[in-house]
Amino acid sequence: MVHPKIKIELFLVCFLAVINGCKKDKEEIITPNPEVLSSFSLNVAQATYNDLNSKTNLLYNSIQQFNTSNTNADLNTCKQNWKNSRAAWEQSEGFLFGPVSTENIDPRIDTWPVNYTDLDSILNSSAVFTEGFIDNLEDALRGFHPVEYLLYGSNGNKVAADFTQRQKDFLIALANNLKKLTAQVADQWNPLTTNNYHNQFVNAGQSSSVYTTKRAAFEELVSAMAGICDEVANGKMEEPFVNQDPSLEESPFSKNSIVDFTNNIKSVENVYSGKYSADGIGMEDFVKQYNLSLDGTIKQKIANAIAALGNITDPFGAAIFSQPVQITNAQNAIKELKAVLENDLMSLVQQKIN
Amino acid sequence: MRKYFFIVSIIVIFIAVAQSCRKPELREEEDYNEWLSGGIQTVFDESAGAFSAMFPMLSGDKSQVHGLGDAQFEATFVSAPAPVRPGLGPVFNNVSCSSCHIADGRGRPPFSAAEQLSSMLIRVSIPGSNEYGGPNPVPGFGGQLQQRATFGTHSEADVQISYNESTYGFADGETYNLREPQYNLINVYIPLPGNFMLSPRVAPPVFGLGLLEAIDEANILKNADEQDANGDGISGKPNYVWDAVKQQTVLGRFGWKANNPNLLQQTAGAYSEDMGITSFIFPKESCDGQMQDDNRNDDVEISDSLLHAVAFYIRTLAVPARRNADDQQVLMGKKLFKQAQCSSCHIPMMKTKADVAFPEISNQAIFPYTDMLLHDMGNDLADNRPDFLATGNEWRTSPLWGIGLTNKINGHNNYLHDGRARSLMEAVMWHGGEAEQSKNAVKNFSKTERDALIKFLESL
Repeated sequence: MVHPKIKIELFLVCFLAVINGCKKDKEEIITPNPEVLSSFSLNVAQATYNDLNSKTNLLYNSIQQFNTSNTNADLNTCKQNWKNSRAAWEQSEGFLFGPVSTENIDPRIDTWPVNYTDLDSILNSSAVFTEGFIDNLEDALRGFHPVEYLLYGSNGNKVAADFTQRQKDFLIALANNLKKLTAQVADQWNPLTTNNYHNQFVNAGQSSSVYTTKRAAFEELVSAMAGICDEVANGKMEEPFVNQDPSLEESPFSKNSIVDFTNNIKSVENVYSGKYSADGIGMEDFVKQYNLSLDGTIKQKIANAIAALGNITDPFGAAIFSQPVQITNAQNAIKELKAVLENDLMSLVQQKIN
Repeated sequence: MRKYFFIVSIIVIFIAVAQSCRKPELREEEDYNEWLSGGIQTVFDESAGAFSAMFPMLSGDKSQVHGLGDAQFEATFVSAPAPVRPGLGPVFNNVSCSSCHIADGRGRPPFSAAEQLSSMLIRVSIPGSNEYGGPNPVPGFGGQLQQRATFGTHSEADVQISYNESTYGFADGETYNLREPQYNLINVYIPLPGNFMLSPRVAPPVFGLGLLEAIDEANILKNADEQDANGDGISGKPNYVWDAVKQQTVLGRFGWKANNPNLLQQTAGAYSEDMGITSFIFPKESCDGQMQDDNRNDDVEISDSLLHAVAFYIRTLAVPARRNADDQQVLMGKKLFKQAQCSSCHIPMMKTKADVAFPEISNQAIFPYTDMLLHDMGNDLADNRPDFLATGNEWRTSPLWGIGLTNKINGHNNYLHDGRARSLMEAVMWHGGEAEQSKNAVKNFSKTERDALIKFLESL
């Protein structure tokens, strides 16, 4: 005869065993929307780089035009085209991976500071500005910032009458090199060229030799977004600010630094929403499937960061003295965005994607 | 009742005494988690930024210093005079740390004849040694060729690389190609002496180096077997090199021939030779006494504190965790790696020393896959240029951690000191000398085994 108390215990054990048997043994990992990657490539990477390339072409054409006309109106068009190209470039910095990095194009386009001493020596030399000559120049002598310096002058107020022919010749050659390099990046994401990065990226976890899992490609996006937040808050803004030294500002001649920073954060927004101009499936669509509140938080942090940058009303070189509170607030807002990306979003990606 | 209590007490005391007599067991490699290549300083990151992650365990103040060093590592130097970061050159190889160590990763030779050398450089010397036992500099060139110069200055030479390709076969009949580089120096600014020797070297990855620096010297030396006393055909020899701060000869750890003693000197040496930036360790310009010298008597071009910050940045770069370490094919490759005795030199696990002053790197089991020692790698890989005690045939065992992320982060699959190998398998098949037997073992592997070996290497 079994003791009644043991009977009850036996029953309980059986009951628990059955309940346990009903539990799923593993949390199901749902395949995330597979279009996030292809949509990123098409609507963000290719769209941004193509736009960058068409804008540097316009810049080149306008410099050619200014070379002939030598009017202030045409010079202003050049300056505007420089800013437009710059906007597209800064909006590409939220995804600084792939060819732009491995092919070393980033430093050739966007090295700072300018090597003024050598730039002056070159202008005073008899060097002929052939394509090969520019190709062999140091990174600090070509790309956006030497073009900016030549267009705006060291005080930012250069007018048509200040230009020598030699400067214009060099500008034309530099603008030509810039458009050639931007064409190269655009080409490397173009699905129609051989060995393009589009195929590497969208075929993550399948035929891609670079991204052996889908998760790796998603992680790439998240860490690139967090990376530019880090660069803006802890590099581009921090250095001139803590050193109280406007000479450390990145786009000083055009007084364009805050626009640059804002476009960097917009780049994060673009990657997250999958949209440069045409809307596509973005990281946001993946996040919304699992965690609506995280989606809300990320969007709020992006908006906060852009708004905080907007509160800096003086040019950055002046604001490091006049608006320290606004600068600190903007840095903190960007750091908060970075934290939510690299902690919360990264964890979600690592949990949900194989 | 009391009696029971007494007996139980006796038993407890007996067990306690017996336990205390047990020696503490030495923990073996298997006792540690091999996914954590960098011990507690491992990052779970396989993105393009995986080599650039800071130690995950680093206190606030130290992360500030890391950040300062990070910014400086990326900082471009320009010709003096200039308002920001003057002092580049007059002759140099590149303009910033990160333009050779792209994304803190591995450099490569040019892909085509049209491309300039960018993340690779050429060391030169003539027979004999300098006052410290190191390579004997070439008059007018020093110890390194600077193939670039500020505008209007003569660079030392241009480098042309050509390759001779040959076909070889695995035992199962499948063929593979190896290309042997040849170096031609053109536009040399003054004639080179006839007896000069050159050693091409790509920029090595810079992550995880703080952990390698923290391995106790005794731990490295215990694997040394210069005379091959154990008869396994593998010697393992420490290099002893000049420490410019201590002003004495010490164990070499870094560089392709373990020709540098520590990260601070490695950093200062790179600033000096690669960029022409003077520091408190190397206050003279690299072209001192040459005709390119601008004879500016300026102060050191990088401050002591920034130089320390850059060394600290490198010291505190984390190691990416392994991927797919439990994959069946990877596990098979791991077995084969041991079976072919690759692991005799590429020792999987090392331990860092206890360091109370720097707890973040103290007492860690790490998986760098190096013994930090020199080995004869055979005539085919030799540069025939001695570097301190390293002969022309000897190279330091390269760490393999993170090697599987090279293609993603650096966009190439070029390995070995001069980047001649175009895949991991080519790198394996270049091994000779002490590694001849290991290479032959791989040669006899089946296709399945070879694929597994590569899968294993890619998981590191």
